Amino acid sequence: MRYLRLIGIFWAASAAARMEYRAAFAVSIVAAFVETGGKLFGVYLFYTSGYDLGGWRWQEALLVLGLAQMVDAFFVLIFQPNLRRISEMVQDGTLDFVLLKPVDSQFWMSVQQVGVVGLPYLALALGVVGYAGAASGLSVVGWLVLAVAAAGALLLAYALAFLFATTSIWFVKIFNVVFFLSSMIWSAQYPVQAYARPFRLFLTFVLPVYFMTTAPAELALGRATGGASWAIFLVALGLFALSRAFWRFALRFYTSASS
Amino acid sequence: MSERFAKVRTLLAVYFAYMLEYRAEIVFWILGGLVPFFFMAAWSEAARQGYTAYTPLQYARYFFAVFIARQLSVVWANWTFSDWVRTGKLSFHLLQPLDPAWRIFADHVAERGVRLPLLLLIGLVFALLFPGALVWPGWTPLLLGLAASTLAFLLSFLVAYAVGLLSFWFEDATEIFELWYVLVLFFSGMLAPLSLYPEAVQRVLLWTPFPHLVYLPASYWSGLESPDPRGFAVLGAWTLAFFAAVRLLWWLGRRRYSAMGA
Repeated sequence: MRYLRLIGIFWAASAAARMEYRAAFAVSIVAAFVETGGKLFGVYLFYTSGYDLGGWRWQEALLVLGLAQMVDAFFVLIFQPNLRRISEMVQDGTLDFVLLKPVDSQFWMSVQQVGVVGLPYLALALGVVGYAGAASGLSVVGWLVLAVAAAGALLLAYALAFLFATTSIWFVKIFNVVFFLSSMIWSAQYPVQAYARPFRLFLTFVLPVYFMTTAPAELALGRATGGASWAIFLVALGLFALSRAFWRFALRFYTSASS
Repeated sequence: MSERFAKVRTLLAVYFAYMLEYRAEIVFWILGGLVPFFFMAAWSEAARQGYTAYTPLQYARYFFAVFIARQLSVVWANWTFSDWVRTGKLSFHLLQPLDPAWRIFADHVAERGVRLPLLLLIGLVFALLFPGALVWPGWTPLLLGLAASTLAFLLSFLVAYAVGLLSFWFEDATEIFELWYVLVLFFSGMLAPLSLYPEAVQRVLLWTPFPHLVYLPASYWSGLESPDPRGFAVLGAWTLAFFAAVRLLWWLGRRRYSAMGA
């Protein structure tokens, strides 16, 4: 409860500070439309050539695309603005101040900022998901499963991003790591079945992109065969636990600025 | 003349040294640029199942060329310049008898020096993973492709710098560059070879700079489709237009600049 209130305070302050740059926000609305249009166009190109991305109907493929955009939007909205600060604070030695606060340091490092320019993009992502879900005829249960699985996917994406960003305790300037991760998530736009086999395996077992978008869509549409898609929750919770353990481990190596 | 040569050499040497310091960042930056290979994976699977006009190997060759073309035209001038204006660092550069554009330009050129060896390494790995995908394009296409990609780099740099100059008016102009970036992303031929785009879209795109930034050099290098030399003219015209815009914005913007706190 206390943590929810903190989030409210953090985001209000951060959003107010960013609202100083109104022109940037206006441009980001246009950019969000162009980007969404472009991504839809990318899927459209496959369907006009007759390829169905490994057995997905058009509206089902859009569900995967919408989920990918949602994860992407959270990168802009939460993950990037916060995680880039880990590396900044290690450089400046200001991480000390965070560690001294009577708040969980991982929590503080993860939610303190909000990148409002991600909002238009998130709205359009939800629009795509809503359209695709309705067009695929999702039942009430289907929507519920989708919501829970999407939350799992976000947790997974967060845990991965935080794991990557934590390495800056050692490497200091490593912001591009988060850029690297967010660009890998480009592969989540299409169902993994669309890719050639070696890529499919890579995207499931090395980089768990499969669980971010394909698995939630499969669960919601009832196309899940076997337990593979359900593993999303295990993977998400496992990675989250790992990110917490790794953060605490990494802090043991943090030596502040002057020591 | 020799004085100018000394300036160029000093600038390049300094920025090359800077960039070497950031080599780990550059590695991740390059790895983040591997996105075209996902499109390659999807299109070559489509080709394997017999859906499109090209073979998986042709797709591999094409998307590798796209990757290289994109890597050679990476720019961040908007970000650097915006930062200089916002933090007031620009004031120091204004005191020197050298247009600050040259510093940022040298920064970009020197970075290619660090990036190139890494690209060669990625090319080697790619050649091992996809045997037969990389073939020698021949000297003429190679050089024409390089010429196209150099022009593409110049244009991208000028666009980024023009956006950076807008920081004189809007504190944070970096978002405007985002718009250019997504347009390049979707209309440069990274999603798919441009020849697969609908006819009408192709016709409109021909007049925009986007396809020529990536698709033009990539088609010289990969030989997927015969390249359209009109692209050089379009690229050249846009480059001149943005050069004029940069000069104008620089001239107007300097009057508005009030440094930090002044």
